[in-house]
Amino acid sequence: MMIPAWILDIFAAIMLAVAALSASRLAIGRLRPDTDIDAAHTLMGVAMAGSLVGSLHTLPNAVWVVVFAVVTAWFAWRVAAEARAQGAAVLGTGHHLPHLVHSGAMVYMFAAMTTAAHGSGLGMGGAAAGSASMGTLKVPTLGFVFILFMAAWAVWDLDQIGSAHLHRRGVARLPQVKVAPRPAVALAAAGPGAGAVSGSGQAPAPTTAGAWGASQAPAGYPGSEAAGRLLDPRVAVGCRIAMGISMAFMLVIML
Amino acid sequence: MVSDSVALPGRLPAGARSTAAAKLAPFPDARRWLQLGLAAIWLLDGVLQFQSMMFTRAFSQMLAGTAAGNPAVIADPINWASRLITDHPVATNTTFATIQVLLGLGIASRRTIKVALAASIAWSLGVWWFGEGLGGILNGGASPVNGAPGAVILYALLAVLLWPADASRDDARPAPFVAARLVGPTAARAIWLVLWGSLAYFALTTGNRTAQGLHDMVAGMASGEPGWLAAVNRGAAGLLNHQGLTASIVLAVLLAVIAAGVFLPRPLARAAVILAVVLALVIWVAGQDLGTILGGGGTDPNSGLLLAVVAIAYWPAAVRPRTPEAQGEAA
Repeated sequence: MMIPAWILDIFAAIMLAVAALSASRLAIGRLRPDTDIDAAHTLMGVAMAGSLVGSLHTLPNAVWVVVFAVVTAWFAWRVAAEARAQGAAVLGTGHHLPHLVHSGAMVYMFAAMTTAAHGSGLGMGGAAAGSASMGTLKVPTLGFVFILFMAAWAVWDLDQIGSAHLHRRGVARLPQVKVAPRPAVALAAAGPGAGAVSGSGQAPAPTTAGAWGASQAPAGYPGSEAAGRLLDPRVAVGCRIAMGISMAFMLVIML
Repeated sequence: MVSDSVALPGRLPAGARSTAAAKLAPFPDARRWLQLGLAAIWLLDGVLQFQSMMFTRAFSQMLAGTAAGNPAVIADPINWASRLITDHPVATNTTFATIQVLLGLGIASRRTIKVALAASIAWSLGVWWFGEGLGGILNGGASPVNGAPGAVILYALLAVLLWPADASRDDARPAPFVAARLVGPTAARAIWLVLWGSLAYFALTTGNRTAQGLHDMVAGMASGEPGWLAAVNRGAAGLLNHQGLTASIVLAVLLAVIAAGVFLPRPLARAAVILAVVLALVIWVAGQDLGTILGGGGTDPNSGLLLAVVAIAYWPAAVRPRTPEAQGEAA
């Protein structure tokens, strides 16, 4: 017996929810420091849902390999920029490191699925029959390292979610960005202290958790209260936790 | 890495102490790091429980195998549980996996940690009986190398030792190591002595001290593992070939030294803890193949990793009362 299809359906639904949330943040948030993270979550959610449930299949696996290779390169550049700006210590707690690892894991998984497709002649994107159609990891040790990282970062995120430290981590360590033409909207969407980051590179003073919530949303902005809640950094962290656990699940059933 | 010292509020006024604590609160202390490690392992276990094999009869047969050699009062419930899982593999295994994922997430969240740790103790005791046959301690099959006294009982032990409460409210006399914060140093050292002392005993049981006992145990792990891990197994098996008695005695002596180590002065206690961590990791890699996770079919990382986490919880910290100046700098 393979893994029951309904379990795969549940994980696919979670991934679609992550993709929808991230796409919504992209749509309402304009250009923010973590726009790239929301874009990556959207892509990953769609790709993983398609690999878990055949009917949700979108692009060929080889295309996903290329897409996530580009995403990996992007986050590698972002991590390197963080390390240059704030020292190597940021590698342990940096804002973009988990996304670099997540992207690398996506490349690894889809490469394994592509290989399996060539070997078996099966179509891809159809995991409903179980892990056999998803292929087997050629280097299980690397897969295990990814799984350990996903589990460790998920519990770290859960520990930090809602704390002031998360807020500092999410805002203070963001690299400089040029905000959209509507400065009031973009600055509020980027969170309190973002202006200080952009302007001086100094970390903002610690503020209360969830400061990107409704009270900070710009007045007059359409749907400002809902938008403020959606742009709360804890939403992105929640998406990352769900993404990490789902990736660990996929890697495990491919071991 | 676990902090080398336990910083104390010292003689600060209550108001200043709470303000400083609030500034420092978000970053985990040594005990919180270990709790997060335990949470990550539970989460890993839960995800591993979703493997395809766990939804087959092979899983229930694996559980039934732990009944062999145990007294009827222990074996009969194991067999009953195994039949239940055989009849309802999807429902039971999905429940098991979900529970373990939730335990991991619950321990990771500061709001639910106490509930999750309490639940993990109950769950661990159940799995230790129904899933591990009490770790083989009653059927003569227990060995430090194969996972005695049962990996899952170490989860329960860690849940107790890492419980987020402190027995002593005396800032001037803090616990000498993390594991002593709830139960006190005397009880914590007694637990350590029983744990590592029992491992020393198991290393000398009949099955482990035969000429080829440990060799066969390690050599048998290589099948299905990645090349590098199989090579480690073959190398270790080569060292143990026809050296079972000698290896058992050496292992038992090391474990006995570790067991006594926490009663020694701090430098020697630290050496014993380092030895415990190293030995646990060597056993985990060479003797347990990381819980056979890489070969497929592993449900947890086995006892080696957990023993290392337990040992870290006994790292003797250098206690230094925190001065107001130091608090200001830290904040």
